[in-house]
Amino acid sequence: MTKELALTRILPRWNPTSLLKIACLTPVVLYDGIFFLLPLIFLIWIGFWTTENYRAVPGFSLENYLDIFSQLFNKSRYAYAIAQSIWVASTTTVLALILCYPFAMSLTFVVPERYQRTALLFAIAPFWTSYILRLYAWQTIINPNGLLNSLLLQLGWIQSPIPILYTQWGTRIGLLHYLAPIMILILYVMLSSSDRSLLVAARNLGATYWQTFWRVLLPLSKPGLIYSATFGLIISLGDVLSGVILGGGTGQSILGKVPLFSTVILNEYAASTNLPRTSALATILILLMVAILVISSRFAESKE
Amino acid sequence: MKPTNWQLNLASWIYLGLIYIFLMLPIFALVLFSFEDSRFPKLPWTGWTLNWYSELFANDQLRLALTNSLIVSPIAATIATMLGFLAAYALDRFEFPGKKLLSVTLIVPILIPPLILGVGFLGLLSRLNLQGQLYSIILTHVVILIPSAIALIALRLQQMPKDLEAAAWNLGATPWQSLYRVVLPWSIPGIIGAWLLAFTFSFDEFVIAWFVSGFSPTLPVSIYTMMSSSLNPSLNAIGTIIFLASVIILLGVELLLVPIFSNRQTKPVDS
Amino acid sequence: MQLTELPTHTAAIAPDPSHDLELCQVTKKFGSQTVLNNINLSIAAGEFVAIMGPSGCGKTTLLRVIAGLESMSAGKIYLDSQNIARLPVHRRNTPMVWQNYALFPHLTVQQNIAFGLTLSSHQKAIVREKVYQIAAMLHLENFLDRRISQLSGGQKQRVAIARALVTEPKILLLDEPMSALDPHLRIRMQGELKRLQQALGITFIYVTHNQNEAFSMADRIVVMNRGNIEQVGSPSEIYNRPASHFVAEFVGYNNLLDGKVVQINSQTMTIQCSQTVAVVQKPDRAYSIGEQVTVVIPADRMFVSSDSASENSIKAVLRGQEFMGSQILYVLETEEGCEIKMIRQETLNTSQSIPVNSELHLAWSSEDAIVLGEPITHH
Repeated sequence: MTKELALTRILPRWNPTSLLKIACLTPVVLYDGIFFLLPLIFLIWIGFWTTENYRAVPGFSLENYLDIFSQLFNKSRYAYAIAQSIWVASTTTVLALILCYPFAMSLTFVVPERYQRTALLFAIAPFWTSYILRLYAWQTIINPNGLLNSLLLQLGWIQSPIPILYTQWGTRIGLLHYLAPIMILILYVMLSSSDRSLLVAARNLGATYWQTFWRVLLPLSKPGLIYSATFGLIISLGDVLSGVILGGGTGQSILGKVPLFSTVILNEYAASTNLPRTSALATILILLMVAILVISSRFAESKE
Repeated sequence: MKPTNWQLNLASWIYLGLIYIFLMLPIFALVLFSFEDSRFPKLPWTGWTLNWYSELFANDQLRLALTNSLIVSPIAATIATMLGFLAAYALDRFEFPGKKLLSVTLIVPILIPPLILGVGFLGLLSRLNLQGQLYSIILTHVVILIPSAIALIALRLQQMPKDLEAAAWNLGATPWQSLYRVVLPWSIPGIIGAWLLAFTFSFDEFVIAWFVSGFSPTLPVSIYTMMSSSLNPSLNAIGTIIFLASVIILLGVELLLVPIFSNRQTKPVDS
Repeated sequence: MQLTELPTHTAAIAPDPSHDLELCQVTKKFGSQTVLNNINLSIAAGEFVAIMGPSGCGKTTLLRVIAGLESMSAGKIYLDSQNIARLPVHRRNTPMVWQNYALFPHLTVQQNIAFGLTLSSHQKAIVREKVYQIAAMLHLENFLDRRISQLSGGQKQRVAIARALVTEPKILLLDEPMSALDPHLRIRMQGELKRLQQALGITFIYVTHNQNEAFSMADRIVVMNRGNIEQVGSPSEIYNRPASHFVAEFVGYNNLLDGKVVQINSQTMTIQCSQTVAVVQKPDRAYSIGEQVTVVIPADRMFVSSDSASENSIKAVLRGQEFMGSQILYVLETEEGCEIKMIRQETLNTSQSIPVNSELHLAWSSEDAIVLGEPITHH
């Protein structure tokens, strides 16, 4: 019956459905064309403009990019910012995977089936509350006088407050809290639809839990892990709020007190002295994300 | 397939608990400290109060911002849902050259960081002198709301029995009539779910609104301004209220999406 | 399609001779696969035509082509002498009763039935009356306000039929509508459907793979195989005079023996098969000596014979038997491995059990056998 069902989708040529098709697609295409593609292309185009006397001049020149790249290799703040962003994003993503994957596994295999959906809902609930207010709450929790520190001090576990706020660890906490619900969802969906009989077969053949995990479950989960990782990287690179509110703009990390690339773009934009160059920076960020997408899809394909 | 090893089981439950604590901690803090009588949320507990809530209701700026948000988000959600429904239907039903390219292009807005979108939107809108108004935010929000609307409605459309539309045509309905009288009623759970999702996204969206709103800020923008100016415990109160509202919306979505995710179809069972 | 008055459906209406359905050279290819191959078929108004065949033979595709749900690669379709091949689905007025009923879940029974009429403007009162009438004909008067999910399979089927009939079409298409029903319900519905068709006087085109349905309801049967029409005829023609190897094997239980014509007389023809000599009554077309033919002997015409005459008889060993209600099907094998089927009217009580592997002499009378020429290959 499947062939015949497929045939339904392709109607005879003489049906007046092409009018309907155009009517359905035109609104979206027009809308996205004007309000999405146009601004994006415009933004990229501005990156090729020049500045004279603090005013942006339309034109086509690679001046901004050359400027940025020459500075890059002089250990400029752009280079550091990009490095900081990549560093924080990668560590956050890895940490998120390490935290969320066992959670998803527990949800799939340990929680009784009829409670799984409720459990999942509770895990996703944070996603439905205001991001900005969650960050504010984290601020009150991790600041030197906040919940966490005063608790630890009272318990006598530490002698003086741990600085978490205004370091990149703060940023990471904010990002983790943002990413976790969605990563858990992705990983849970992939795990629960995976072939359980393979796991049972492995156990049946004498594999220990660790072996079953390492040699059967993990390879099966690769696509889900790659999607989650890609998602985590892209969101972390583009995020602005965690870096500013919890990271303090120039959060301390192993690389030093360096702001994130996204924060740099935001600040440069607010200062608005050199719009073309800011646009060029934004374009670089876009290219970075495209690169990540391409690499990860290569990864995903090679696993097939 | 439950692990029969009790230690593994126990460890899993403990781990689940720890992560849940992490996930719920900020929300818990918001709710708790919205009632604490102290400018600095801390332990030990200093006393109960409803002051922060009453301060909140007296705050004109926040009230204005809330009103703005309540104007922007429903309208943006409605536009995005309508455009999304038509697009989801067309993608589900028709084949045409460039379909794959179109699908990708429609999904892309959600992947681009709002930061970049904000800069871009402002760039375009300021050239056209359309920035700084509420409708500027509506126009730009719709772009990022469309992908999820399409996804959710497409999910629901895929569950529709293939014969249903064909039966409508067969009985004399034009493609338009069939879309309006058969496909649309079927899609309603998906449409409502998409609207609620879109509303929530838009209501919470800060970055783009910050770029584009100018002097008509939405709620997140106002909150941000409050945050940067002083430590204001009213924010806890607002956080609690928003959380409660989100929970109610979440319950609504859950009740509507249950038919979708439990994959219940209305075809008669073959005996 | 304006309704001006309420027609009466209770009296049988004489079919209008101008309402014909004609299929001319209808062909449908799907890629390199030919799904319908040069179909030519004429259906008179008011006929109950069953299209029968194994799955994949193209019968459902043919129905969908008539309805406009599939396109044709070539050919013409005339309804009422009008070429409808260019008409889109919604203008053909060829309503269909779907295999899974395809009832609209968001509408009540009454709204479902009224659907076709609500698409263009009609007076509400007239629409309501029409719906009540059709509902009464199908015994649905008490169900009009129910939701579809509250109906049983049989009720859903009747709603589907009512919905298709409310617009008073000249032709009704049915795509295996009984396949989802219980067997005893099926038999009752067969009778009702036939009565309905005769009362309405409209053309029914009924697709099925169930031979019993086709034989009990149809005026004419179309047997299809792999995109081709194998035979068109009345039920008795199809059953007693299969016109091709496929039909002989598909319909009923028949034995096919290959052989060569060795003698032609005025009244009879003698065929030499590998294990027997068959003498058949004068066939309906001229054969020549030496021509390769197939002798077809219905299984229920075989009997166990005591004398081992050489003509119209065959030796075979019993391999197994199957209980078929009031009959038993015996499956035997000849020396050369050819399968022979025999059906006898007997119950388990009255049968004298024939031991397996016993050798039997089977015979038949020459009136009961028919001859088929070489199998035709379709291009």
